[in-house]
Amino acid sequence: MTVQDVLSPFTAWKNLFRDPVTVRDPLTERPGAARYRGFHKNDVAECIGCGTCEAICQNAAIDMVPVDGIETKEGDSGLRPQIDYGRCCWCALCVDVCMTGSLTMSNEYTWIDSDPDAFRFVPGVDHKSWDDAELGYHRPDGHRLTPPERIVMREMDPERRIGNFEEIVDGYSVEEARAEAERCVACGLCVATCPAHMSIPDYIATIREGDYEAGLKLLYETNPFSQVCGRVCTHKCETVCAVHHEGDPIAIRWLKRHITDQVDRDRYVDIIGRPAGETGHKVAVVGAGPAGLTAAFDLARMGHAVTVFEARKHAGGMTRYGIPEYRLPYDALDADVDVIRAMGVDIKCDTPIGDKVTMTGLEKDFDTVLVAIGLHLGRSTRIPGSDHPKVAKAVDLLRAITDGETIDVPKTAVVIGGGNVAMDIARSLARLQKQIHGEVGMTVTALEDFSHFLADPEEVKESFEEGIEIFDARGPREVLVDEVGNVTGLKTWKVVSIFDDKGRFAPTYDEGDERIHVGTMVIEAIGQAADVALLGEALTEKLEWNRGRITVDADGRTSEPWLWAAGDCVNGPDVVHAVADGHRVAASMDAVLKAKELS
Amino acid sequence: MALFELDRSQYPEAKADGSLDIDLASGKYLKLWQGPQHPGITGNMSVELTVCGDEVVEGRTHVGYLHRGFEKLMERRTFIQCFPIVCRICVPEPDFNEYCYAAAVEELAGLEVPERAHWIRTLILEMGRINSYMMYLGGQAGSFGMGVIGQWATYVRDLMLDRFEEMTGARIYHMFILPGGVRDGLPEGFAVRMEETLREVERALKDINDVMYCNAVFKKRTVGVGVITPEMIEPYGVTGPNARAAGVAKDVRKDQPYLVYPELDFEPVTGSVSDIYTRADVRRRDVHVSIDLIRQILQKMPKDGPVMTRLPNVLNWKIPEGETYIRGECSRGEYGYYLVTDGSGYPRRVNVRGPSYTHAMALLEKLIVNANISDVAGLMVSLHTYPPEIER
Amino acid sequence: MPEGRGYQRLKPLTNLQDILDVATEFERTARDFYKDLVPKVSKNIRYLVEELAEEEQEHFDLFADLARRDDLGDLVRHEIERPASDRKFSDCVHLPDLGENPDDQAVLQYALMREHAAMEQYTALAERTPPGPVHDLFLFLANEETKHKNELEAIYYEIVHSGGV
Repeated sequence: MTVQDVLSPFTAWKNLFRDPVTVRDPLTERPGAARYRGFHKNDVAECIGCGTCEAICQNAAIDMVPVDGIETKEGDSGLRPQIDYGRCCWCALCVDVCMTGSLTMSNEYTWIDSDPDAFRFVPGVDHKSWDDAELGYHRPDGHRLTPPERIVMREMDPERRIGNFEEIVDGYSVEEARAEAERCVACGLCVATCPAHMSIPDYIATIREGDYEAGLKLLYETNPFSQVCGRVCTHKCETVCAVHHEGDPIAIRWLKRHITDQVDRDRYVDIIGRPAGETGHKVAVVGAGPAGLTAAFDLARMGHAVTVFEARKHAGGMTRYGIPEYRLPYDALDADVDVIRAMGVDIKCDTPIGDKVTMTGLEKDFDTVLVAIGLHLGRSTRIPGSDHPKVAKAVDLLRAITDGETIDVPKTAVVIGGGNVAMDIARSLARLQKQIHGEVGMTVTALEDFSHFLADPEEVKESFEEGIEIFDARGPREVLVDEVGNVTGLKTWKVVSIFDDKGRFAPTYDEGDERIHVGTMVIEAIGQAADVALLGEALTEKLEWNRGRITVDADGRTSEPWLWAAGDCVNGPDVVHAVADGHRVAASMDAVLKAKELS
Repeated sequence: MALFELDRSQYPEAKADGSLDIDLASGKYLKLWQGPQHPGITGNMSVELTVCGDEVVEGRTHVGYLHRGFEKLMERRTFIQCFPIVCRICVPEPDFNEYCYAAAVEELAGLEVPERAHWIRTLILEMGRINSYMMYLGGQAGSFGMGVIGQWATYVRDLMLDRFEEMTGARIYHMFILPGGVRDGLPEGFAVRMEETLREVERALKDINDVMYCNAVFKKRTVGVGVITPEMIEPYGVTGPNARAAGVAKDVRKDQPYLVYPELDFEPVTGSVSDIYTRADVRRRDVHVSIDLIRQILQKMPKDGPVMTRLPNVLNWKIPEGETYIRGECSRGEYGYYLVTDGSGYPRRVNVRGPSYTHAMALLEKLIVNANISDVAGLMVSLHTYPPEIER
Repeated sequence: MPEGRGYQRLKPLTNLQDILDVATEFERTARDFYKDLVPKVSKNIRYLVEELAEEEQEHFDLFADLARRDDLGDLVRHEIERPASDRKFSDCVHLPDLGENPDDQAVLQYALMREHAAMEQYTALAERTPPGPVHDLFLFLANEETKHKNELEAIYYEIVHSGGV
């Protein structure tokens, strides 16, 4: 203890001469820092209502609520996050996890209100003074709580796959599938979009758990063509996937396939479960494609006796006769058909409707009848020369290849069309050309330009890899035939624009830009029609029609009470739509049959 | 130093269970309840005092006023959802919770944290240490009636909170260190503003030194009071400045280096006799060490590179079975997180080891005997304890 | 066939009303043709022929209404300032023999060719007429037929070029 110790404390008095350090008016003079985690903002136009913010909030401060003026649509639940500031702890995990980046925070931190309920609000909908604040917390670049990149699907390289019809993609290993399944945020937007409403997040969860049998059971509850759809589904689900907004969508299709690959096929029927007891009702189905067989599967499981009449040698419809083996191996399709047969469905192949079996006969012999005949007639351009024998239709050729018929494979051929069928036939013929002639000589001409292409991007990419030439924006003008009557190629005109002022598909041609595509065969793959002739004139006349298609109600029932129609022939081409149709029809028929029992 | 020896000759013998046979009816003794709100503690905690005149005969600590059940809550939260919770376990120095939890999760989940994130984490922890000491200084001075120190300390703490705000986006609960790294890099011009802040801290420290440490009253009230002998260190689990003031150079930053401490140049601050004064002095010098460490960090740290590793989808995050204990040197001693995982998406058990647990209970009960009632608050503050970390 | 039968009938006419009468007559013939075709096609594509008949009826009504108006010349001049452009698509579609039981594509091809021929015919007439009300009327008619043809092309694409799966 010194004298200094007595005097020193008095130095505090020097502070009398210091300026004050307080901020006089903090409400206006003290804005939050640029990164400040202040009040929430939400760009409601960007927000898809996936609810990931709600899922991650550990305080349960966020509820997804319906909002006036925002409708539920594909890829948007129509809900928006409502935040309760009585619970929020401003951790910003909701901002970090937001799948679209729509949710952010302002640097505003003062809010005074006498109504406690005001502090529970929907950012972006209930307008606030900070809605336009530029500063505030945004998820920093590279800071992600969900992995944006898809696990790459291994596939055969072009050199190895071009000479054969083996399946191109390898399928995921258990580790890869689990890693991909981990990425799912289980928002369920996919379920709403999937025509068959498959329980996608749930079956993806079974992959994470490694419980494949539970996964398989879930799959077949909504889709008896799970092996098929696991390979060739148009996967609309993936286009609405929440992860898609700032990354690659979850590979839902490949994950579905992975489940079916992991379960021993002998176990399928046990896992799916046996049908209910017989009801004594008889149902006929015309066409053993996805729509017809799905309805047959459901109806058989409900205990009805189902007979399916199929014109072709094998069941499967377009999935067998339209889709090449390298995309969908026949054994995968057979396995699905076997499951359907195991439910007691009697599939009569090689039994076309017409001579021996007629619609009138079916009407008489069965309680109800379903027409699911698909779109098996190829359309023709009917340009000059298109009636030449060396001008074929893609669907006919694909069917011939599937049935193992010998076809005269040309060294060079030109395909007209830009959809997946055009790619299918081009790639199938390219494989045959490689096998027979040793090299590929395929040209595809499509009306659409690449930015509006109809075929899936991977089809285009893989076609290029396989050495197929694709010319976009070319309109077919004439099939060229030489003096001795051989096809020598296709003349096309440049397509200048493909939509009219009303946004309808209506190409405009430039006759000045003409091109000759060399080929000794021309294949038309421009579109398909249903072979409704099998209905017979009398039934055609009785039925109601809507712009060329049989008129059906929401359940698929036609104007004739005993007849339903489903699948591509009423709703246009898509496997999983056909499956969804099949379910609807089965439920509707079952209700009608049960009502009959009661009356 | 007879003063340090407990003189119990005039009080009843302790019974077998350690309690005293006090006859309140005799009128010689008085039960005095101090707390749960009182100047001796940051938070809520009570001491049940038995006094004889103005001398404490016995003190029993009562905790539990701040129990929020965080450890149990975390067993029902996913690993990412625990992240916003942990900082709340210790209000005045929350970042240690974020760091320990993140490091424990990273170890069990096998995450590699980017280099720059390690530097930023160290920076944050040292900034937090300064703030924690500033809060202590205010409390220590206040408990002896020197209110102005608290205002000065709060001012510089506020400047440091500004730095926290611009870096992390929040002032108190930063929620910035999350498993895998830190949220973001340093904002533009941060080092310059930090240097200005550090100078203010130094200036304030000098003033505080003049007014508090070189103050006859303060010395008189604190020197030789509440002495922790070196022999008590191990049995009472004393760590941090409380132990270092006794000359025991325990510092996790040196003993079991973590983050980037091996690359930084510093020596743990020690004293000779761990009484209230020396403990206060050790903490004052520790602030200078932290200031120096922050300058070193800002100079040596990599200027760019990632600060966050790629996380798995946190909504489906499962961590393999395992257990780990992560420790660090916080302003009060050894802070630790014991994390047990069972392969599920939730922690099986989280145990938070706050240094206050031993300091505020067993150690205080030992030191409080024979203390003057007027010194009790000052003694409690000198142990620098935070009840929220006692009751997780 | 820009210089076909219609051309010969219209060429000598110089009176707007007379020209419109002939044009209206063409539309009536076309309408009746489709009306007669309706029962001949299968029920599932009958909608198409019915729509074609309706379209012709609309033109018939439009031309008939026009012929009754006094400000015909002004109206026509106003319309031809917004010409519809020929997309050249119909050049690629060839006139089929409709036969006994034509399909939807054949009906459309036929209809397209009719509109195409009409468009070319009116265009040729306009080109060979000196500037003035008659010239304008031919241009107006050509424009109407072009619009009609474009409409049909869109339908053609919808039905025929469904793009394949």
